[in-house]
Amino acid sequence: MAELVLGLIFVVLLCVGVPVAFCIGLATMAALLISIDTLPALTTMAQRMAGGLNSFSLLAVPLFILSGVIMGQGGIARRLIAFAKCLVGMVPGGLALVNVVSCTLFGSISGSAVAASSAVGGFMLPEMEKDGFDKNFGAAVTATAATTGLLIPPSNILIVYAIASGGVSIAALFLAGYLPGLLLASALMLVAYIHAKRHNLPSAGTVSLGYTLRAALDAAPSLFLVVIVIGGIIGGVFTATEAGAIAVVYSLVLAGPIYKEITRTQWFAVFLKATETTAIVMFLVASSVAMSWLLAFNNIPTQVAEALLAVSDNPLIILLIINLVLLLVGSFMDMTPAVLIFTPIFLPAAVEMGITPLHFGIIMVLNLSIGLCTPPVGSVLFVSCAVAKTSIHNIIRPLLPMYAAMLVVLLLVTYIPGISEALPKALGLMAK
Amino acid sequence: MQALTQWLDRGFRVLLVGLMASMVAAVCWQVISRYALNDPAAWTEEMARFLLMWIGLLGACYAYREGQHLGVDLFPKSLSPARYRVWALCAHSLVILFSVMVLLIGGGRLVYLTASLNQTSAALGVPMSWIYMSLPLCGVMMIVYALDAMLHPEQPSTEGVMIDG
Amino acid sequence: DVMVLRVGHSLDPSHTVHKAMLKMGERLQQLSGGTMAIELYPSGQLGSERELIELLQIGSLAMTKVSASPLEGFVPTMKLFNIPYLFRDQEHFFKVLDSDIGRDILASLKPAQLLGLGYYDAGSRSFYTTKKPVVTPADLASVKIRVQESQAAMAMIRALGGNPTPISWGELYTALQQGVVDGAENNPPSFYLSRHYEVAPYYILDEHTSVPDVILISRYVWERLSEQQQAWLQQAVDESVDFQRAQWQLDTEAALAAVQEAGVQVISADKSQFQQQVSGLINELKAGELGPMIQRIEEVQ
Ligand code: NA
Ligand code: NA
Repeated sequence: MAELVLGLIFVVLLCVGVPVAFCIGLATMAALLISIDTLPALTTMAQRMAGGLNSFSLLAVPLFILSGVIMGQGGIARRLIAFAKCLVGMVPGGLALVNVVSCTLFGSISGSAVAASSAVGGFMLPEMEKDGFDKNFGAAVTATAATTGLLIPPSNILIVYAIASGGVSIAALFLAGYLPGLLLASALMLVAYIHAKRHNLPSAGTVSLGYTLRAALDAAPSLFLVVIVIGGIIGGVFTATEAGAIAVVYSLVLAGPIYKEITRTQWFAVFLKATETTAIVMFLVASSVAMSWLLAFNNIPTQVAEALLAVSDNPLIILLIINLVLLLVGSFMDMTPAVLIFTPIFLPAAVEMGITPLHFGIIMVLNLSIGLCTPPVGSVLFVSCAVAKTSIHNIIRPLLPMYAAMLVVLLLVTYIPGISEALPKALGLMAK
Repeated sequence: MQALTQWLDRGFRVLLVGLMASMVAAVCWQVISRYALNDPAAWTEEMARFLLMWIGLLGACYAYREGQHLGVDLFPKSLSPARYRVWALCAHSLVILFSVMVLLIGGGRLVYLTASLNQTSAALGVPMSWIYMSLPLCGVMMIVYALDAMLHPEQPSTEGVMIDG
Repeated sequence: DVMVLRVGHSLDPSHTVHKAMLKMGERLQQLSGGTMAIELYPSGQLGSERELIELLQIGSLAMTKVSASPLEGFVPTMKLFNIPYLFRDQEHFFKVLDSDIGRDILASLKPAQLLGLGYYDAGSRSFYTTKKPVVTPADLASVKIRVQESQAAMAMIRALGGNPTPISWGELYTALQQGVVDGAENNPPSFYLSRHYEVAPYYILDEHTSVPDVILISRYVWERLSEQQQAWLQQAVDESVDFQRAQWQLDTEAALAAVQEAGVQVISADKSQFQQQVSGLINELKAGELGPMIQRIEEVQ
């Protein structure tokens, strides 16, 4: 009953144009009210919304959003992109490829797809638009490419899976994520390249060596930001969240006293804009967390999974069903609760069919990564739309070929265990 | 009413920027205290998380005021101006319904419970009721902005309410 | 009509606590002739331990199992369990928990609308480090040790000479791997299940604190039960406590064997040196609000 009320109210409100966060909130509220007594229901909903924001890993999001806004307005992005153009400008649609590479890089550093899409999208998208790229295409590239960082270590979601599975080595899991992550990035670059070819998107042409050197020198302080962030995390100086704060300070110093591209009176607007973008995402997270609570409380995920696993005893079909269920789950649910709820349900079945917990973790995270970029609930999709200032239905069309590429990679990773297991096996972290 | 909301807007923007700047400062201090001073501060992480909660909830009111929340806007865009006004009235009423039920009643009861049961936070030791106060406060602001948007449907700042892009 | 008690906790279904709670549910069903049942929500699906306690107060969840540490924010008495070497040994620890003192501590939860039904064993917490082994308190000097977000736990690490650094549990693996902290502390099963031994190859069994797990029920729910139902539930809890404590011993031994197999150097500690190190902190605490309770605990033979 609760699940029907939830689904119906959500779909109706969404279609008539109520903002997604309020659709989720109102539908969850109604479903909670028929599940438990009125006052506990309302109080629990409020507590879940606040509790959803009370999370350390979320802290990286506003920080990378803010540093992204500063980089976008402070001339850092312009210098970086001028340099990037010298490197891959000769390729048609070179900026889109740069976007994929930067998203992969940022995503792998921060371990958060949301942070990557906000950081890279924040300064790449305005530049892409200036060069004649469709902003919806740019947002689609950013959203999908940002998810590669969830597979490439360090990745918090892989750690969550390792803990939920109760026995997978995190070190092995990290190694297992490399090849699928790089495979995904390559597939997305291929799609971006084909798109650029078909739409005759601009290439900046080849430039002289002298120009390239000048551009490199000009971009050096900005490039050094990447060195600080990566070096700091790898060298153990700070966590991914703290790297976000360092990125804010560094870009602040660069854009203010050094480049002088953001004046004293503009800082207020820069902070306000970052705060607003942050709040849009956070309010969505808050209501999604409340919805996840309601689903778990009514055992809806368990019931759905059990019903689907009763369908067949052919491993290939079961894996396909699991993938379809996870794709559906990912459409509506945040990644962390989905991993926590579905790992204990699906993993025993998968292991019984001869799939290693390591391989299954990669399938699950890759699958739910797709869900992060699909409506109606997808935090990376929301962030990319917010950063690109476009609406969800506008970016669905450019997203379709990206989804296709992700699904192909998902099928490859699902049915060829070697993609996940080769590295951990080669380095002795997994029995051969 | 107009003067009041304008004054409210200005104060609200300053508050939001202040919260954001404090959050950045807290995380920076965490790094500095651990490396430069070699005396890690215990309160920074918790403080940053609490500030994020305030930014998320109060910032959501500001984003609502500016009509920036994400949604599927095909249907309202297809409406005639007269019908759009009816639609806006309904949509804002739903926001008021949510704010009253969840943020004011639910959030208010949460504040009351944590205050009367003396719950304090782990690191800072501050009463959790102060932290949860962001919920009813967010509710009040949402209601004020929703009422204002219903009373002044022609106002430019509310023209695109609930429509992204 | 079956009365269903919903129980949330933060551990995964393979954990001994979950198994003990399944036992609790089975027994409750038997005792009540099928009129009462327990529904479990593992893996923190319904929230963190602090949030689960709040849900009990709100009245949307019946029961939970939490560590005594997050209860500090609700009931200051719970700070007791973060006092290093408060218990002489395991025997003393259980004697105190199962005596009037243990019951008084559970009763102190009543004003917070909570009732404590019993204690599960969560073992003793010891240090593990990434770079160099810790053998004496001197080895802890300026070593960054991850602590839970608890003022009492911070004071404890500081007293032992370490440098307490609050890091959230989910981030600890990478923090250890990348050197943001040099070590952490926990009981052997958690050290093993969290896979932290993969990045922290030194484990010293200094056993500085014993922080039990507490089984809680919402006071609203408890008061709605008949006396007979309360008795059934208490008996089911007591039996699951016996099961859990026995199982925990086996888990601890298995975890220590498994980490050693994986190449971890398990070091036995000269505890008296560590005890000496914290005598100042204990004297300070004895003068404070916890003083009378500390004295009662010390008097238990
Ligand atoms: Na990553
Ligand atoms: Na989705």
